Amino acid sequence: MASNMIQRRVKHALAVVAAIVAVQVVRSDVSGVLQAQRVKFFSDDPLTREPDTQDASKVQVMEIGLSSDLLLNLFTKLGDPSTNVKARNINTIDEVPDSSWFNNRIYSRDLTVDELTRGANASEPPASGRWTVIRGKSTGAATGFTARDEKGQVWFVSFDGRDIPVAPTAAAMVATKLFWALGYNQVETHLTTMVPENVVVDPQATLRAHGKRRTLTTDDVEDVFKRSAASADGSYRAIVGRAVPGYVGHFRYFGTRPDDPNDVVDHEHRRELRALKVFGAWTNLVDMKAGNTLDALEKNGSLSVVKHYLQDVGSTFGTGANAPREDDEGHEYLYQGAPLAKRLFTFGLFVRPWQKMDYVENAEIGKFEGTEFEPEDWKPRVPVAALRHARADDNFWAALRVMAFTDDHIRAAVKTGGYTDPAAEKLLADILIQRRDKIGKTYLSRINPLTRFAVSGDAVTFENPAVKAGYATAPKGGYEATWATFNNGTGEASPIGSPITSADERVQLPASVPGSEQFVKVSIRAVDPPHAPWSTPVNVYLRRAADGWQLVGVER
Amino acid sequence: MALTMRSPSILALALCLIVPAGAVAQETRAEEIAAKQKAKAAAATPYQPNAFERVMGRLEEGFVSPPNGWYPAFGSIYPGGGLSLGVGYRHFDRREAIWDVHGLYSIKGYKLLEFGTISPWDGRGRFGYDAKVGWLDAPQVAYYGLGMGGGPGRANYHLSQTYASFAALMRPTPWTRLRGEIGYDGFDTQEGRGRAPSIETLYNPLTAPGLGSSPSFIRTEAGAAIDWRTSPSYSAKGGFYGVTLANYSDTGDDFGFKRLDAELIQHVPLLRGNWVISLRGRMQTILDDNDVVPYFLLPQLGSGSTLRGYPTGFFRDRHSLLTSAEFRWIPNRLALDMAIFYDAGKVTRDRSDLDFSELESSWGFGARFHAPRSTILRIEAARPKTGKFRLIVATGAAF
Repeated sequence: MASNMIQRRVKHALAVVAAIVAVQVVRSDVSGVLQAQRVKFFSDDPLTREPDTQDASKVQVMEIGLSSDLLLNLFTKLGDPSTNVKARNINTIDEVPDSSWFNNRIYSRDLTVDELTRGANASEPPASGRWTVIRGKSTGAATGFTARDEKGQVWFVSFDGRDIPVAPTAAAMVATKLFWALGYNQVETHLTTMVPENVVVDPQATLRAHGKRRTLTTDDVEDVFKRSAASADGSYRAIVGRAVPGYVGHFRYFGTRPDDPNDVVDHEHRRELRALKVFGAWTNLVDMKAGNTLDALEKNGSLSVVKHYLQDVGSTFGTGANAPREDDEGHEYLYQGAPLAKRLFTFGLFVRPWQKMDYVENAEIGKFEGTEFEPEDWKPRVPVAALRHARADDNFWAALRVMAFTDDHIRAAVKTGGYTDPAAEKLLADILIQRRDKIGKTYLSRINPLTRFAVSGDAVTFENPAVKAGYATAPKGGYEATWATFNNGTGEASPIGSPITSADERVQLPASVPGSEQFVKVSIRAVDPPHAPWSTPVNVYLRRAADGWQLVGVER
Repeated sequence: MALTMRSPSILALALCLIVPAGAVAQETRAEEIAAKQKAKAAAATPYQPNAFERVMGRLEEGFVSPPNGWYPAFGSIYPGGGLSLGVGYRHFDRREAIWDVHGLYSIKGYKLLEFGTISPWDGRGRFGYDAKVGWLDAPQVAYYGLGMGGGPGRANYHLSQTYASFAALMRPTPWTRLRGEIGYDGFDTQEGRGRAPSIETLYNPLTAPGLGSSPSFIRTEAGAAIDWRTSPSYSAKGGFYGVTLANYSDTGDDFGFKRLDAELIQHVPLLRGNWVISLRGRMQTILDDNDVVPYFLLPQLGSGSTLRGYPTGFFRDRHSLLTSAEFRWIPNRLALDMAIFYDAGKVTRDRSDLDFSELESSWGFGARFHAPRSTILRIEAARPKTGKFRLIVATGAAF
């Protein structure tokens, strides 16, 4: 009986070994097949929407500590240690698909001034009348609380600091419009006024203080008003942000949320986050920290998915919540070794340009200027990973969006700030226009800027946005195009004919391409351009479709 | 349990382990992304802050809104006592008043036990109060004699003090301060301890007024100031201009005196705060020439914040004058100031001698590690006119 058992076990063991060997054989076959099937372009390329396929209802609130976030970003290099990594959430035509992070708005389509000024505000502003405070505010520099309006809608309320009326609330309003137009999820935000007599405290209201949550008192609310700027009529100007249901914490500018199954691209490799290097420079959004972001669970069909917001973009332009910007903000990280050491050992004789910068005096704007602004020198308070990984193609992508703001767009956005001083409104708009143009001039010269490729009749058309905007002259020698057939499986390209040159922003399709060829590639570069990087070709891929050639890829 | 080929789940597991999840061919980009998301869903775990994040979180909360309960205490018990450590227990009530009891022990054996309440705890209200009772014991306080000439040398005295006080504070405007205080100070002096000889072996009641006495005072103070500094503990701009009148009424009628303190501080930032010129002038004077002031309550110069090249209490007499100037440069706005400083001052028996002639001086340099509103650590080297550098390690601003 014992020997039978041994024989049986030996048989079973052999069977398992055989199964493993068989699986290995299958695996090698599968690998081979995969190798062969690995194509450059899938049938659904270019993707227009990044899918969220998994239910994320189990995500938990992810709170990120302010100090640890700041120190780790300042003194360590969080995220992928590799450098010059191409953004990983872009589609094959070098664009960012819509997603739970980003929605293509300005540049991708014609955004009207009305749309821009409405921004994220899809519903009614807060009901006038009585406000009921339901929670105290224990984080952030701005004074405020959470309150319910007469219709029961919950809003996050922020006031201007006592010594800086108008500036913080105006900046937050304007920035919210600009960042919504740029494509970010923004909380619905309105400008309003509050009269203390109309504010009552809910008996159940609480405030977190001294390590525990305690009952919120009328004294606490009075204290908020004491620390806020009052108008001459005794009212208080405030911005109110509609409470987003499903709050699950914040996102960081590196890695992914470990509990969000749909978050599969490291945040430092998301282009729309890298692009904040340019958008931040434009608006002086210095306070980039996890605490100024917001993740919320939302229903997407039958699934719950995490939607990612840039929650607090109020730290922009020339003002903070309680005072104008510090002089070094936007010019140096909070800690930067080299300038610190130079100042230390030279008794402060090492002087940076920002220390001598002049600002137009305006209390509602603070320290914000465009004349000496250098986009590439701009710095947020801490070097967050996404910004450190931004490459020339990411900056170019972002610059196109900044350039897409017309003067009218900018002036309309600034008007939503409700500045009480017309000179302040004009000043801010003028500075934003000035900074927009500098961003365009800078980043469109760093890379071949050809864009908006399309098949039009028998030609591929494109646009040189630097030339169109008047930032640069057209290349003296025009554009040189080199055509090739392209094998989507192997990646091999075979030239078709000789390079052709065009003075215009269009190149002829090849006269004949064998019917067996499904893809063609054209490499377009500028000849004798005003900026050397324009000589590096942009590769454009077309796929044969029933009605002709169709754009499927753009590589810079 | 025997492993058999009749166990299909085992085979499936083996297949799953051997064939990578991502190796299943996708025909669309969307499928490729979906496969990654499916693989992550299988391994999704809630975010767990690491040890550093947890510690920083606790520190952050303790700094912004300290919790009720026990806390580590540190500070200074009495001038010259050195760094003190201890433990305290505090409780905040709804009106943001703090109730606190703490004990401290210094490296020189000084002791302190104090119970008190302050409202509001962060000192930012328009009205406030500060009440406390306590006891301190300083067994080796240095005494160098009266005047600027130098006595027979350092002697030590042992001072114990029992105290109780109540101060009312008012801030009519953001920059103005009014303060009134009433308190009881009971002193007990004994033979000094430490390496230096006890005070009675080198000094007598003429060279150390009140030697051997242990007076008690009812103290009343009134003060007014304009203060537009960022904070008394750290500021790179603004100024302080204040005057305080104190009346010490001896419960035994042996002593009793009135003292007037006047202080002017001005911080002048240059080139967007790249440099700061900080200036201070301070005068302390006993108002009535007939008042008798015990030696341990005389105005004094010399310490980590006054005439920094000299030890604590090196110069004492009935009147004092101090001037300080600092050239500060700011390598990092949020954390580090450097400074070169010069202090000059004198103490005199007669107020008429309180002028700018024959000042003793010292100079030095140092680094200050600070937060936006407080100096966390000040490390300085200061040298008197003649003599060696002294090392100063302190918390708080010199002025």
